[in-house]
Amino acid sequence: MTDFTRRRAAPFARGAAAAAVLAVTALLISACGVTVPSDPDGTLDAVTGGTIEVGVSPDPGLVDTREDEPRGPLVDIVEGFASSLDARVEWTVASEETLVGDLETGDLDLAVGGFTDQTPWSDRAGVTRGYTSIEGADGRSLVFLVPLGENALLSELEAFLDEEVGS
Amino acid sequence: MTRAHQFGRADLPEEQQVALKKAVFWEWFTIAYTTCTITLVAFVVGNSQAMRTAWIEDMLSLIPQFAFLIALVFVRRRPDRKHPYGMHRAMGVGHLVAGVALFTVGLNLAVEAVSGLVAAEHPTIGTVQLFGHTIWLGWLMVAVMILVVVGPVFIYGPAKARLAPVLHNKLLYTDADMAKADWQTNAASIVGVLGIGVGVWWLDGAAALFISLGIIWDGFRNTRSAVVDLMDQRATTYDDKHPHPLAARIVETLRSQPWVADAAVRMRDQGQVFHVEAFVVPRRRRVSLKHIDQASEQVAALDWKVQDVVIVPSDRLPDEADAAG
Repeated sequence: MTDFTRRRAAPFARGAAAAAVLAVTALLISACGVTVPSDPDGTLDAVTGGTIEVGVSPDPGLVDTREDEPRGPLVDIVEGFASSLDARVEWTVASEETLVGDLETGDLDLAVGGFTDQTPWSDRAGVTRGYTSIEGADGRSLVFLVPLGENALLSELEAFLDEEVGS
Repeated sequence: MTRAHQFGRADLPEEQQVALKKAVFWEWFTIAYTTCTITLVAFVVGNSQAMRTAWIEDMLSLIPQFAFLIALVFVRRRPDRKHPYGMHRAMGVGHLVAGVALFTVGLNLAVEAVSGLVAAEHPTIGTVQLFGHTIWLGWLMVAVMILVVVGPVFIYGPAKARLAPVLHNKLLYTDADMAKADWQTNAASIVGVLGIGVGVWWLDGAAALFISLGIIWDGFRNTRSAVVDLMDQRATTYDDKHPHPLAARIVETLRSQPWVADAAVRMRDQGQVFHVEAFVVPRRRRVSLKHIDQASEQVAALDWKVQDVVIVPSDRLPDEADAAG
C-alpha cells in the first residue's frame, strides 16, 4: 500500500517539476535579452539598415521584369517592406528554382513572384501566410518566400503585410 | 458441479464490477478528451517536428483505449466447447497490438527527427492573426501544450492507475503509466518550440527525438509485457515487478490439507484472471474425489482471479512448478 500512496503523489511532483522547467526556460530567455522569434542565421538583423537581397520571378500582373528595374504590385510591397527596415533592395531576376536555391544558400533574403499558398517549394523555403487582397492576385492566395527557419524575418514580413494588405 | 468450479469465469465480484464500470467510463473520457486535444493541436502544429511528434503521440494514445474497450467485449463471453478457456486472452492481444503500434510509429518518428537534424532542416514558424493582432504561432503552441497536459497527468492518468491494480489489468496499468508520463512529451515540445523561438533550430529536432524515444520505450515495454504473458510466463503482479503472491497462497492452502504431503502450482495470466494447475503429492496412494473437490473449492475461494483451477494428484512435483520458495 505504501507503493500506491507514492504513486498518487507523483503527478503533483511531476507537475511542479514541469512548471519549474518552464519557469527556468522563460527566465533564461528573458535574461539573455533575446527577441522571440529569432533568426538562426540573423537575416533580419543583417538587412536592417543595410541591403536586402530580393529575388523575383516574372508573373503577369504581379511582377514585370522587362525593363532594368522590376516593377509591379509585388515589387512595390517589397520596396515598402525594405523602407520599413531602412534597407536598400538589391534585385535578382531568375526562375523559381534558382531563387529557391539562392534562398537555401543564403544568397537571397526574400523571393517573390507568382508563389501561392499551394507552392511546392514549402519544403525548401519558409513561406508566409497567403494574402488574397494584393493587387493583381486575381483570386490567388499569394505568399512570399524567405530562407527556411528565419523566423524573425518571416514574422516581421507577415506583420508588415497584415498592416499593408490585410490577410 | 458447483458454481466455484466454473471454468474461465466471465463475471466479477462487486468491487471489480464497480472498478470495471469506472474503467470503461475513464476510457471513453480519455477518447473524448484526446479527440479534443488532437483537434486543438492540429490548429497550431505548424512546422515544428517536436509538435508534430507530440501530436502523433496523442493519436497513438487512443490505441490502448480502443484495445481495452474492444477486448472487454470478448472477455465477457462465457467459455464454451470451442473456447474452453474463455476469451480472456483478448486483453493480452489488445495489449500486444498497442505495444507493436507504439514501437513501430515511435521508430518511424525517431528516424524522421534524426534525418531532419542531419539535414540541418531549420524549422519555420511564422505568425498568425488573432483578434487583429499578429502574434508568433510559437506562443500559441506553448499555450496549447500547457493546456492539454492537464487531462492525462491530473485527471484520467491517476484515476486509471487506481483502477488497474483492483482489476489486475496490465493494459490499463501501462495506459495509466503512459498518461502520467505525458507531461514529459509536452515539456519537450515546449522546449523545442522555445528553442526555435530563440534561434536554436536544432532544439526542435532534439525534442522530437526525445519524444519519439519515449514512444519507442513505451512500445517496447508494452510489447514485452504482452508477449511474455501470451507465452504463459508465470503470473506476475499488474506492474510486472514481482511474481504474483497468489501462487504462494495457493500452495499454502493446499499444503494445509491433511491429506497433502506437498504441493506446487503452475499459474498463468489469462488477462484479467489466472489459470491454475495445482500439483499435489498425497500422503497415501489413494486420494478421494471429495478431498480434491474441497481443495479445488478452497483455492477458488481465495481470490476472484483464480476460478479456473485444476488439481492434479501426482507422484512427485514437476521441477518447473512454483513451490513458493
